[in-house]
Parts: sequence; structure tokens; C-alpha cells
Amino acid sequence: MDFVLQAALNGVLLGLVYGLVALGLSLIWGVTDIVNLAHAEYLMLGMYATYWLWALAHIDPLYAIPLVVPAFFLFGYVTYRVLIRRILSAPMVSQIFATFGLLFFLRYSAFAAFGPNVRGIWGSRLEGSVPLGGLVLSLPKGAAALAALCTFAGLWLFLNRTRTGKALQATAQDHRVAQTLGIDTEQMFALSWGIGIGAVGVAAVFLSPFYQTSPAIGDAFLLLAFSSVVLGGFGTVSGALVGGLCIGLVENVLGALIAPTFKLLFVFVVFIAVLLVRPAGLVGK
Amino acid sequence: MTLQAVLLAAALVAFPFVVHSSFHLNAAILVFLFGAVAQAWNILGGYAGQLSFGHSVFFGIGAYTSSVLLWRYAFTPWGGALAGAFLAATVSLIVGSPTFRLRRHFFALATLALGEIARITFLNWTYVGAAIGLYLPLQYRNIGTYMMWDGKRPYYMVALGLCALAVALAALIDRTRMGPYLRAINADEDAARALGLHVLRYKQWAIATSAALTALAGSVYAQYVLYIDPYNVMTARISLLVVVIALIGGRATVWGPALGAVFIVLLSEYSRTVLGHLGEGYDFIVFGAAIMALSLYEPRGLYGLVRRVRSRPLPQIAGAAQDLIGPPSPVAAEAVLSIEDISKRFGGIAALDRVGLSVRRGEVVCLIGPNGAGKSTLFDCITGFQRPDAGAVRLRDASLTGAPAHRVALLGMVRAFQLVRVFSDLTVWEHMLVAQPHRNESVWAALRRSAPRVEGQGQALLQFVGLLDSRGILADELSYGQQKLLAFAMALMSGAEVILLDEPTAGVSPQMTQQLIGHIREMNRQGRTFVIIEHNMAVVDALAHRVYFMADGHILAEGTPEQIRGDPQVLEAYYGR
Repeated sequence: MDFVLQAALNGVLLGLVYGLVALGLSLIWGVTDIVNLAHAEYLMLGMYATYWLWALAHIDPLYAIPLVVPAFFLFGYVTYRVLIRRILSAPMVSQIFATFGLLFFLRYSAFAAFGPNVRGIWGSRLEGSVPLGGLVLSLPKGAAALAALCTFAGLWLFLNRTRTGKALQATAQDHRVAQTLGIDTEQMFALSWGIGIGAVGVAAVFLSPFYQTSPAIGDAFLLLAFSSVVLGGFGTVSGALVGGLCIGLVENVLGALIAPTFKLLFVFVVFIAVLLVRPAGLVGK
Repeated sequence: MTLQAVLLAAALVAFPFVVHSSFHLNAAILVFLFGAVAQAWNILGGYAGQLSFGHSVFFGIGAYTSSVLLWRYAFTPWGGALAGAFLAATVSLIVGSPTFRLRRHFFALATLALGEIARITFLNWTYVGAAIGLYLPLQYRNIGTYMMWDGKRPYYMVALGLCALAVALAALIDRTRMGPYLRAINADEDAARALGLHVLRYKQWAIATSAALTALAGSVYAQYVLYIDPYNVMTARISLLVVVIALIGGRATVWGPALGAVFIVLLSEYSRTVLGHLGEGYDFIVFGAAIMALSLYEPRGLYGLVRRVRSRPLPQIAGAAQDLIGPPSPVAAEAVLSIEDISKRFGGIAALDRVGLSVRRGEVVCLIGPNGAGKSTLFDCITGFQRPDAGAVRLRDASLTGAPAHRVALLGMVRAFQLVRVFSDLTVWEHMLVAQPHRNESVWAALRRSAPRVEGQGQALLQFVGLLDSRGILADELSYGQQKLLAFAMALMSGAEVILLDEPTAGVSPQMTQQLIGHIREMNRQGRTFVIIEHNMAVVDALAHRVYFMADGHILAEGTPEQIRGDPQVLEAYYGR
């Protein structure tokens, strides 16, 4: 029984991080109506950024936050300005292909620059574990979950308590009406990309101490993030949170109960099942 | 076959007898195999628009089926390849049929997830070698009935044959009505359904064909590389590579995927020899950038760039234009369409509240009423686009209640939409092909040209609405009024007895409105029955035998146009008290 509880704990901690990646995806999707297939590539690049800061400049992941997150906010912002802006009114097929091209471009840029090797950080401040009532709480996972929760809370406050946040929500609901009300929707679209990719930056930094990176990790994380969005229903902060938690639990608890090698398989089966049964998500509209 | 095609075929067959370098032959074999897979993907993803990111499943099934049969049972790979193709097609139908309901990016992601599920399964399945993989037994080398040789030349021929098969299949799709059908499904599924096309069945045909062809290539690949494991035949890398090849070469084209394979495989192979392992990755950065650029500027890829300089030829039509003028048929006594007590609620709002009306054979019935009265919802409910909560619809003796859209069209009732929906990628003539009657048409029949009688009918109808000279241009390039005329011609082309028109004259110039009135009258004189939603009372006066007046989800009045004009309820609804 203990190992199930342990798996559930890990599932909750990891699920919060998946939720954070999903949040960016969901926000971008909701505001600009673009499904960003390259989303997890940003995560991969964020982990590389954290890795190189640690390996070359000896900056601990804990202190990499103020460097990586603003840089990734800008990265998302620029992606919107350079590419996404041009495909907003294109047919859906063109939109899918544009972000698919972006996926390839980013993934193989990393491949060419850093090689295929798997790279991990060791000896960071976020290492070790503490006992927690018979279970073991991994410190880096705990820190990642805490950071994810803080980001969720911050974004929720931003979206619901500030004028800009409300303008962003209005743009998500109907950008034409928002425009007639004097909202600079172009700015809102770019902002959603900045925030979405910035959130991925947070996830990347905190994943780095316990998750090794390589250019190919994107596919699994893309599917994990999408599964979370689909499960939670897209367009809301709470949906991404709930979806991420569900996915983390499915992955870890079923993995522990049946076989760890199959844990991603369970996630994808759940993903397809939910798509078929309830495309609007479990807590969606 | 054209001279160019014969010359190309001769040159390709002669190539391995002239070039002996195994490096070049290897590159050519990979070009053919991936060209074939990319074309297979293109049938589903390009023509039918169902974007699969999971073709590695089919490739892997082909590779594993033939290899396991050879390894465990000494079964010849020629038969194994066919078994693999059959298995892949079966699997594709099982997983494809439910996932086809999903929106496009969901379908793409579901297929990507399926690819991962297959990979994890095969990685842990000891019967097929699990993660260790599977070495093909070499004792079958150079034995006639097997597919294993010392030299590369036989592989070259097999791969070339497979690629030729894929291109020929695409050419067949392109030249027959299958091409317009699949591209219409890609452009606007609902509009295709409204014309009676059995959309699901064509998607199933596309995915099964695509999967089978992909599996054949997987089998040949396994026999060629002699070792398979989930990392080389069932990985997302293959799924994505195939998409890249098809996209860069040009989707929904006959030669695009082959062109893409030449470009991408050769560039990868040769850049790797020049740059060594350092070179890995650089080519794909370029491809990624190229796809982004192409999706912005030339969705047809490299082939589209080539084609740009050539102009589109005017489509050739077989069969003579038929005489459209038939004997006048008077209004009959019996009802052809009867609608009884249809109700539809959206949340708390009753959009339709026990609406009933009946239309006699040969009538023109107009449906008028203020905006929000429920007129378009009624059309949706009787044509299978929305499910009514209660009530019944009958067309002649057949019950249409709850019938899917394509069945409604097949039974003889077709609608034209309020906001015209033309298929953005199809020419005017291709629209007429898609609109032809689909009753008793099997999917395989779509791989033949239409009967001359059908083409003649299309020609006559285009002449009738004055679009015959525009038959070679994309419907997107027509004016709005012309698009409405095209939609009208398509409804006639379908052979439907009852035609529903939703505001046919809205947004159309006065001259064209007069034209359209003339056309509707003429077609009605020849026995077609019309139900028309219309706001313009002049049009109603000119056309209607009878008028139904609708407001707030109810039919409030019925009568001749004069009677309706004087009805106090109608006056109240339009002008207030």
C-alpha cells in the first residue's frame, strides 16, 4: 500500500509540473486559437538553457529562474511576432503545418547545437529528499510542484484581478468584440505567447534537477501536455491544473501498480479514450 | 502514358545497371521507399485532409509482420508483406473509424499517441523480440521465393516498383472523381455530407489504402536492412519524417511526395557523408524552416512552386450537354415532404416548437419570418445537421427523422447553405463532380470517371447558370453571386427532387436575383420542388405557390403570398402593433 501512496505523491508533484506546461498550451490555444505543436520543444530548450547555465556559468537551477523565465517570455513573444502573427487567419491545415515546422526547426537546432547526448544536472541545491510520514518527499520534485503552484496562483490573480488579465480573457472569448472595445488584441495575442512560453520556462528550470534532457524529449511532453489539456478542458487555469494532476496520477499510480515501463502507455490510452468520449474535457464547458 | 513518363521509367530502370556504387543505390532505394510512404500518407493527409502523425504504426506493422512470419515460420516475405498490408489496413480501420470524429489537430495528436502506444507495446513484447529487436535469418538469401539478396539491384527494383505503384494510385485518384471527393471532404466535410457523400466511408477507404501501402514499404524496408526494432521502424521519427517529406514535396499532388523524398532523403544522406555525424540535424533545421515558409506562402510545397508557372487547363468533359428542358409538370396533390411537430430546444430557448408543414410535389414553398424565427434551424433539423428533440420528417414514403445528412441527400432532398459554402480547393467543374448523384455508388466506383451522361448533365447545368466558361477556375475566385449560382447548380446536379435554399438572393445584385428567379422557375416547371427561406417579398411574390410564416419557433400563418401579406399576425410581427 505504501508504494501506491508514494506513487500517488510523486504523481501529484509531477502532475503539477505537467499542468504548468499544459497551462501555457491552453492559454495560447484559448487566446490565439493556435494549437502549438512546438510547445514541448520550448520545454526542451528551457532545460538546455538551465543545463548550460549550470555547466558553463555554475549557476544553480534555483538561481536560473530570473534569467530563464524572462528570456522565455521574450522567446514566446518573438515567436508570435515573427511567425504566428502571419498564420492567424490561415486555414487550420496551414496553422498546424506552421507550428509543425517550428517543432522541427527547434528540435533539430538543439540537436545540431548540443548533439544527441542525454544531459543532466547533478549536485544542485535542489537535491535529496526528506521523510514525510512514512513516505519520501523528493526535494527537487517538491520544489517543482511548489513553483508550479505559485505560478498557477500568480496567473490566476493576473487573469482575474488585473485589467490586462481581463483584457486577455476578453480577447480569448471573442477577439473581434474585444477589438471594438478598444483592446489592443495584437498585444494580447503576443502576451499570451509570452506568458505561455514563460510558464514553460518555469517548468523547464524546475524539471532540470531531476529530469535529464535530450533533443527528443518533446514528443512525450507534448502528448502529456495535450492529455492534460484534453482531460481538464481547455481555456481555464483550473482545467490545466486538474488535467495535469489527473495525468500525473494516472502515469505514476498505474505505473506502480502494473508496470513502470507502461506508464506512458496508460496516459496515452486515457488521452485517446477521453478524446473519444468527452472531447470537451472532464471539467470543461 | 505520356512520353515523359516512359522516358523517366526507362531511365530509372536502367539506373542500377549504369551506377554500381552501393552508396548511390542505397540512397535511391531509400528515396523510393520513403517516397512510397509519403505518397501513402498523402492519400490520407493530403487529399482527404486527415493529418496522421502516427504512420510509424503501419510502417512498423508491415515490417514486423513479414519479419516475424519469416523468422518464426519461414514464410516468404512476399506473402508476409501482403499479410502485413492486410493487418495494417485492419488496424487502421479499427483505430481510424472512431478517431475520424475528432477535429483535425485532435486527430493528429490521437494518431501521435497511437504511435507511442504501439512503440511501447512492441518494446515490451517478447514474441516480436521486444527491445532487443529482430535479426532476419540470413539463410534465405538469394532463394527465388524469398525477398533477400546479396546485391542491392533487386531491392532497387522492388522499391522502385512500390514507389511507382504509389504514384500510379495517386494519379488514379487525381484523375477520377475520387480526387475531388477526398479534397471536398478536406475542404468542408459538412458541405460534402449535405451533397450525399458518405464521408466516413471515403475516409475509411483513404486510411486503409494508406495504411496498406505504408505497410508494404515497411516490409520491404525490413527485408532490406535485415534488422528491426521499435527504434528503427516504429518510432515517431518515421511518422514525422514522412509528414515532412509530403509537406515539402507538396500535399494533395501526384508527384509532390516523390519529389519531396528525392529532395529530403538525398540531402540527408549526402550531407551526412560530407559533414559526418556532425551534419545530423542541420538538414532538418532547414526542412523545419522550409515548412514554416511553405505553410505561409505555398501550401502546395515544391511541386506547387513548379506548377506555378503552368496555367490550369480547361477540364475536358465527356459526353454531350443534355437537353435540360423537360415537359412541364404541374403541382401534384400529394405531399412529397411532410414535417410533423418538430421541436428543438437550445438550453432554455425553444428554437422550434412543434413546427409542422407539408410541401406538395412540384410546389415552390417560401418560408418567411423575422430573424431568429427558427427557419435555418428547421432546415438543419430536417437535413440531419441537428437532431430534433421530437417530431417526424417524411420524404415521400421514407422517414428522415434523425437520419444523417448524407442519407437525407441520397433520398432526394438537398440544401444550399445560407452563407455559401464552396470547397476552397476545387475548381467549378470539380464541384459539379462532387455534387453528382451518389445513390448506389460504391467507394471503388469513385476510382472511375463519371459516366458521360453524368458529365453531360453537369455541363448542361453549368451552361444553364452561365458558369461553363469558368469551369476551370477555383470556386474561391468566383464572385459571391456566382458562388450562389454554383451552389444552386450543385443542388440541381445532385438529382434531388426537393431542394432547400436558404436565402438564395441575400447579398446578390438585383440583376443576378432576377436571373436566379428565372432559373428557379424554370427548374420548378420541370418538376423540381423548392422550399426557400427568403426575406425579399418581391422574390417571394415572384416564386411562391404557398408561403409559411414563422416567428419565435412557431408557424403562425400559411397561405398564398397575397393572403400572407394581409395576415394580421404577420403584420404585427414585422411592423409591431
